[in-house]
Amino acid sequence: MDSISYYLQTVLNGILAGCIYALFAMGLTLIYGVLNFVNFAHGELIMWGAYFLFLFMAEPFGLPLYVAVFPALALTGCLGLAMDYSVFRPIRRANRLTLLIAAMGLSVFLRNAAQFFWGAEVRTYGFEVMAGTQFFGLYLTTQQFAIIGVTILCVIAVYLLFFRSRLGKSMRALSDNLDLARISGIDTKRAIRAAWVISAVLAAIGGILLALDTNLHPEMGIANLIKAFAATLIGGVGNLWGALLGGLLIGLAENIGVLFISPGYKDGIAFVIMVLILLARPYVIIGERSD
Amino acid sequence: MKKLAVLVAVVAIFAFLSVPTARAAEPIKIGAAFALSGSIAVYGEGFKKCIDLAVEEINAKGGIKGRKIEIVYEDNKSNPKDCVTAVRKLITVDKVPVIFGPAGSSNFMATAPVAQENKVVLMSAQGAAVGLTKAGDYIFRVFPSDTLQGPHLAKLAISKGYKKVPVMYINNDWGLGLKNAFVDAYKKMGGTVTDLIAYDEKKTDYRTELLRASKGAPPAIVNLTYINEGAVQFKQAFEMGIKTQWLCGSAARAPKMVELAGKAAEGVMGTYPSVPQNTKQYQAFKDTYKKKYGDDKIPIFGDYNYDMVYVAARAIERGGTTADGIRKALPAAAKGFKGVTGDKTFDDERSPKFAEYGIWIVKDGKIEDYRK
Repeated sequence: MDSISYYLQTVLNGILAGCIYALFAMGLTLIYGVLNFVNFAHGELIMWGAYFLFLFMAEPFGLPLYVAVFPALALTGCLGLAMDYSVFRPIRRANRLTLLIAAMGLSVFLRNAAQFFWGAEVRTYGFEVMAGTQFFGLYLTTQQFAIIGVTILCVIAVYLLFFRSRLGKSMRALSDNLDLARISGIDTKRAIRAAWVISAVLAAIGGILLALDTNLHPEMGIANLIKAFAATLIGGVGNLWGALLGGLLIGLAENIGVLFISPGYKDGIAFVIMVLILLARPYVIIGERSD
Repeated sequence: MKKLAVLVAVVAIFAFLSVPTARAAEPIKIGAAFALSGSIAVYGEGFKKCIDLAVEEINAKGGIKGRKIEIVYEDNKSNPKDCVTAVRKLITVDKVPVIFGPAGSSNFMATAPVAQENKVVLMSAQGAAVGLTKAGDYIFRVFPSDTLQGPHLAKLAISKGYKKVPVMYINNDWGLGLKNAFVDAYKKMGGTVTDLIAYDEKKTDYRTELLRASKGAPPAIVNLTYINEGAVQFKQAFEMGIKTQWLCGSAARAPKMVELAGKAAEGVMGTYPSVPQNTKQYQAFKDTYKKKYGDDKIPIFGDYNYDMVYVAARAIERGGTTADGIRKALPAAAKGFKGVTGDKTFDDERSPKFAEYGIWIVKDGKIEDYRK
């Protein structure tokens, strides 16, 4: 591989990783914006989304990928609603730290539940590994192509939903000020439910893409949550485009950075970015919203 | 008043439950801190099967001096912190005199000081890292140290004509130790290491590391990796069109790795402490395993765990059930003892003195011994 395609491939890898982080971050920032807390159980929506697909593709359903995706996404949406209904709604007014800890507890529960059903072992969807197609000296597999394509579709869908629909307007109003939105007659309950479903579906799509690209295991959500969180912070709370950009940025930073420093520090890059941002804006986790 | 009554009742129940029932022959408890969940649960589950098999056999023959062996399993969740927790619990709550330690040299080495401090024997059946038993004289292993494996891997590389290789390795005690052993021996044999790429375990994306390793299209890449990491790496390398001869250590040599990687694992080679499997003893072991579990694919390091139980049992027979007694009796118990994995005599550092190394290769989806 000559020099140019070497660097280009790295950038491509960065974009691919970034797309997945972006999907995770968009779901996370949505809940953060609308309900004003960090959903630490978001990783489990990611993970359960991937496992639901596994469930529908395996016996006794045995559905092909393109069909099984729909019930998987639907179930994950339901899971998101269930999470809100059972854990977060009763403590809607509590302080941020309480919500954060409740989310952590939920995360542990869901991870163990997944392990209970599917075991702790790493699993795959069982697709044959295939060599990527080459163009301009870069390698891209069909699955990676799908990652980029699906992310673009999701971004377009999110845009249409948020900026071209009434439901989107309600959600944006909610994220500005929950009480004011309620007083002005916006159906806040409906908007909140919609936010959870969208967040869960984005997480599930990201999880499925991640599992297609790599593999499935109960810790796959939480392992990536920190990157989603860093991307959310970069983009600013509740800012969907920021989350998209943040995700891409982290993906690129990780992959390009590894060319120059030891790959052993790869995970550290997202952490360092996150620490720097938190140092600059510490009230993000505990106090008032930023911008 | 009612609350007090409830409290008294609860305390009474606990007190009742914790009084040991006096029985004629109380079982001998041995602790086992294994990965039963988490990323290396595939190891822990396999060990448990082989250990249960050995315990069953020993108990069927009457146990040790009439007392049956009972293994107390604790889940170490595949990370060093929970390994320490599991070992501490076994030491302080279950008060076992000997513990079978966790897989993963970093995990094991995190728990070794704890066992040594508390004067409890800790044994490993799969820790290959150089210096595993450094923590003290209560730490033993029945698996050979990588100081012995490095030179064999170097010899493999040189003998196949690979004079220049990049080396990828897992960034932990095991990977580092084997990397150092390999690099030292390789350089002495005239080889050149073109790049050293450390990477984290438990990750899902190694594409950048693979890209860096494949720079210049080297004919061979040394990759000191585990099962899951290796599978992901070989798959991603295949997708990226990287064509090279992979040379690995012993940790990736598992049917599970081949299962996860599919055809991307074809042709992967490595060294491993070889155990001749065509002996009557090994075949008998395989047969009993098959009878109990239905298939004859011995899980990775399972045979060493099986031997570990026997070595421990012999030590208990000679030295009694105190930790100190077991510790003193282990060298004599193991000396000359031929388990299914060979002669288990300890050397001065409480590691096996004897080890042979073979070469494995993935051919047609199966792990085989490589014949030149």
